[in-house]
Amino acid sequence: MKRVLDGVPATTAVHRPGPRSWGVLLVSELKMVARDTAGLIVPVVLPMLILVMNASGAGGQAVAGGRTALDVYVLPLVFTMVVAMTGIVNMPSFLAYYRRTGILRRLAVTPASPAMVLVAQVAVGVLQTAVGVAAAWLLATLAFGARPPADAGAALGVLVLTTAAMYAVGMVVAALAPTPNSAVAIGLVLFFALGALGGMFGGQDGLPDVLATAGEWLPFGAAAEALSLTWLGHPVEPAHLIGLGSTVLACGGVAAVFFRWE
Amino acid sequence: MPETVSSLAVEADGLHKRYGATIAVDGISLSVPAGEIFGLLGRNGAGKTTTVELIAGLGRPDRGTVRVLGLDPWRDRVRLRQLLGVQLQDAQLHAALTVVELVRLYRSFYRSPRETDELIESVGLAGSRHVRFDKLSGGEQQRLSIALALAGRPRVVILDELTTGLDPEARRQMWSTLESLRESGVTVLLVSHAMEEVERLCDRVALLDAGKVVALDSPAGLVRRAGFAQRVRFRAAEPVPGGLLERLDEVDRVRSDGGEVVVEGHGDLLQAVSVALVRAGVVATGTRVERATLDDAFLALTGRPLDREEAGR
Repeated sequence: MKRVLDGVPATTAVHRPGPRSWGVLLVSELKMVARDTAGLIVPVVLPMLILVMNASGAGGQAVAGGRTALDVYVLPLVFTMVVAMTGIVNMPSFLAYYRRTGILRRLAVTPASPAMVLVAQVAVGVLQTAVGVAAAWLLATLAFGARPPADAGAALGVLVLTTAAMYAVGMVVAALAPTPNSAVAIGLVLFFALGALGGMFGGQDGLPDVLATAGEWLPFGAAAEALSLTWLGHPVEPAHLIGLGSTVLACGGVAAVFFRWE
Repeated sequence: MPETVSSLAVEADGLHKRYGATIAVDGISLSVPAGEIFGLLGRNGAGKTTTVELIAGLGRPDRGTVRVLGLDPWRDRVRLRQLLGVQLQDAQLHAALTVVELVRLYRSFYRSPRETDELIESVGLAGSRHVRFDKLSGGEQQRLSIALALAGRPRVVILDELTTGLDPEARRQMWSTLESLRESGVTVLLVSHAMEEVERLCDRVALLDAGKVVALDSPAGLVRRAGFAQRVRFRAAEPVPGGLLERLDEVDRVRSDGGEVVVEGHGDLLQAVSVALVRAGVVATGTRVERATLDDAFLALTGRPLDREEAGR
């Protein structure tokens, strides 16, 4: 065996940080988010606001199966927005800030792998999203009499897949944006572009056919429509699942290749 | 396979690194034996930080090779990170986390880390355990960053601008920390602007200028390259007659600096100069003798003084 220094063989066993370390990192990132009060407004307060603005009208319009327009259109849209906002705008700007201040560079010279930092960020973001979705759901149920999705399991599944897709898009933003400011700018442009094509500003009827079809496949539109279907208890269309799934794979791959520590 | 024992902790051979049109590192070679405190000294832009980044595996050299403890810092980084501690210049930490939270986070990455309390006490931060990083003073942030570099019981430590921003007491404390590291056989690569620190701590120093090593020697060896051993400064009430001092064997050079006459030379320089002045009837006041320093060596070797004020790449 080749030895380098007394007691340090060149074949030192590869030791990667274990589950305890992952836990510590996750808790650390959670504390960072919890102590950044302003950062909590977007995922928690914004969706509630959107809900309040739309709920009273939509709550009275029955659609089908005892579900109102609030259940079938507003809630899916609000949930999708929460996920997209935290995934595409918030998370990348946090990471870009870490990069600019040298935190990522500092971590890069420890045994913490890039994957650890990214996964911790996503996990924390997902928790934020969950809190935002839960708060909006509670408000919708208690104040506006919203009904749960007819197929709750499918709704949850779609929400999870949506989260993965939005965070994958966010990871691409984090990987490619040169500065924290540009991360926010790129994130917002993407958020509004995907949102506009996906029906965030009203139906897609006004869009040219090509754009409307594209919007339906892109993650925002696919998520909102798929959620809508679960509220009605209809089966989710494969096109939506394929759209979301391929976003996860493609964007996840691009982010993994281009992610930089500094 | 035969057991080949190498005692080199860091080996760099012909490193080149270019950023756009700027050549940051231009053929740097170093070898640092295990247990040595090795200094990298140079002006801003001399290539110190880039060299350190290549050694730490934060970048890949365009040409040349680096080995740290026999490992390639880029290819074997997973293995090396357990053995290497790095304090980076200007790197921030999670702003909203406290001292103890950050120490716990960083030590969790290593296989056999030092104890949390021991680390915090070793840099004198016991009183600030529960203070957030962004509420610490610059010196405290610096000390924390050093504690984190030592968290994993590294065999090799890279410290970039160790005592920049520290008050004199904290600086002395860091120096004694470093000396105890040396006693435990840890190899230290110290990037510095502070001549005093380098002269006091380093076994050997590489002097960098424009991406190249212009000299590599012990601090005392470098000082000898200043070209003179000592310097006498004084103010003269009337002009010193031309050639009076230059004629002396002990004198290498005479120049004026502001209102002062500066005589560089060797041997019993002060005695020789004083006698010559008295004989010529020149009254000298404010006479001082200075030993040649690394500053003088730097000036002699690169033709320009070392800029101590700011730190930079």
